[in-house]
Amino acid sequence: MGEGEVIVVITRSFVSPRAAAAGGLIGATACALALCASGASGASAVAARTISLNETGHLHLTSHHGFKLNEQGTASGTIRGSIYIHLNVTSTNRVTAEVNIYPHNGSLTGYGTASYRSNGGQATFSGTLSISRGTGSYAHAHASRLSFTGTIQRSNDATTVHLNGKLSV
Amino acid sequence: MRHRAAATLTAAAALSACAAAPATTAVGAGVPEQASLHASFSPNRLGASTTISFGFHLATAEGLAPPPLTSVVLHMPAGMNYTLTTLGLAICQPAVLQAKGVRGCSPNSRLGSGSALVEVPFGTGSGHEIPEIQALMGPPTRNGDMVVLFYANGQTPVFAQLVFAGEVLPDTGAFGSQLATTVPLIPSVPNGPDVSIVSVDSTIGPSHLTYYKHVHGRLRSFHPLGIGVPEHCPRGGFPFTASFVFQDGSQASASTTVPCPPPVRHRHHR
Repeated sequence: MGEGEVIVVITRSFVSPRAAAAGGLIGATACALALCASGASGASAVAARTISLNETGHLHLTSHHGFKLNEQGTASGTIRGSIYIHLNVTSTNRVTAEVNIYPHNGSLTGYGTASYRSNGGQATFSGTLSISRGTGSYAHAHASRLSFTGTIQRSNDATTVHLNGKLSV
Repeated sequence: MRHRAAATLTAAAALSACAAAPATTAVGAGVPEQASLHASFSPNRLGASTTISFGFHLATAEGLAPPPLTSVVLHMPAGMNYTLTTLGLAICQPAVLQAKGVRGCSPNSRLGSGSALVEVPFGTGSGHEIPEIQALMGPPTRNGDMVVLFYANGQTPVFAQLVFAGEVLPDTGAFGSQLATTVPLIPSVPNGPDVSIVSVDSTIGPSHLTYYKHVHGRLRSFHPLGIGVPEHCPRGGFPFTASFVFQDGSQASASTTVPCPPPVRHRHHR
């Protein structure tokens, strides 16, 4: 017998109708309790999944303040949804970023740092990002050192971003 | 590389030279050089896209032309905002610039312009102007740092087209970035002494710059956005410092500040 199982045994013999009804109620209650027990133990018994995250986001500038560019767009790949990035150009060759992705069943939030280089009309960044929190189906999401790369068109700050790596959900 | 023999001074002369030039620093066994620096923002407004104008003047304590300059590092104030600037949307390759001049490079690679005054070792001391100095965006370094190419088109006393590069690097403390430029030696005549740079004035910014872009198949002109003036002005103004190294190993430095912009008056309409 596995953990959380309840076996109800009803021995057939002469059972009066009242006794049979009581037995049925006991049996039903036992079954219900068994189902609850299996349901409760089922939540803890389901192991966290690890998925290979392969995301591409295409974003446009919505606003800027000081050294921060606020971008919004669409993410596609393993997870589809809206994506928002706050890019902070902390120096001539470094950026930090907060990334938020909103699929239909939750959200993911991560923070990253990257080297930044400007090459004429296009700037590129390359670094790592960690997923630190989520909601909904991603409430237990966690990832560290995801590959975080992208390009920024300097003429209009349109951004393409790529996220790759293992994500625990 | 030719090396100029270092001149020597008595200790008393060296001390008097230092005392007469409180704004400069002389290091090394050579004749102390004097340096002065000036800088400005146009417009000088917090957070605004701006054109940075800077310039320096070099001389010996006796007012003579200094030894040839080999490097200059310009330290710029913290908070300069490179985030939104659209300067340098194209790259100019140094080899193309050397071969064809600025016309060989896209107008969208231009960053600014200026002029310089040079002196030959046997000159009269009045200096010779190089009227055309252009600053253009060069290919980034292997580390990804921005590069500013300076193109000097000299006619007299030396007919030469020079290309030299400055690397934009992060800085610390009161300075957020620095432009570190290696200056090539400029021969006055073949196998002769090198020319001395007496002064340089240049700009980095959109003033007098026109870029071009294709919009719906048509070429449209526009003015790029410059580097942003810091959002906050430190007490005393925005600091700039330049350090110079000369062929004989001597060094000098100079500092200046751009005054804080006047506060913006907000009109209240009733």
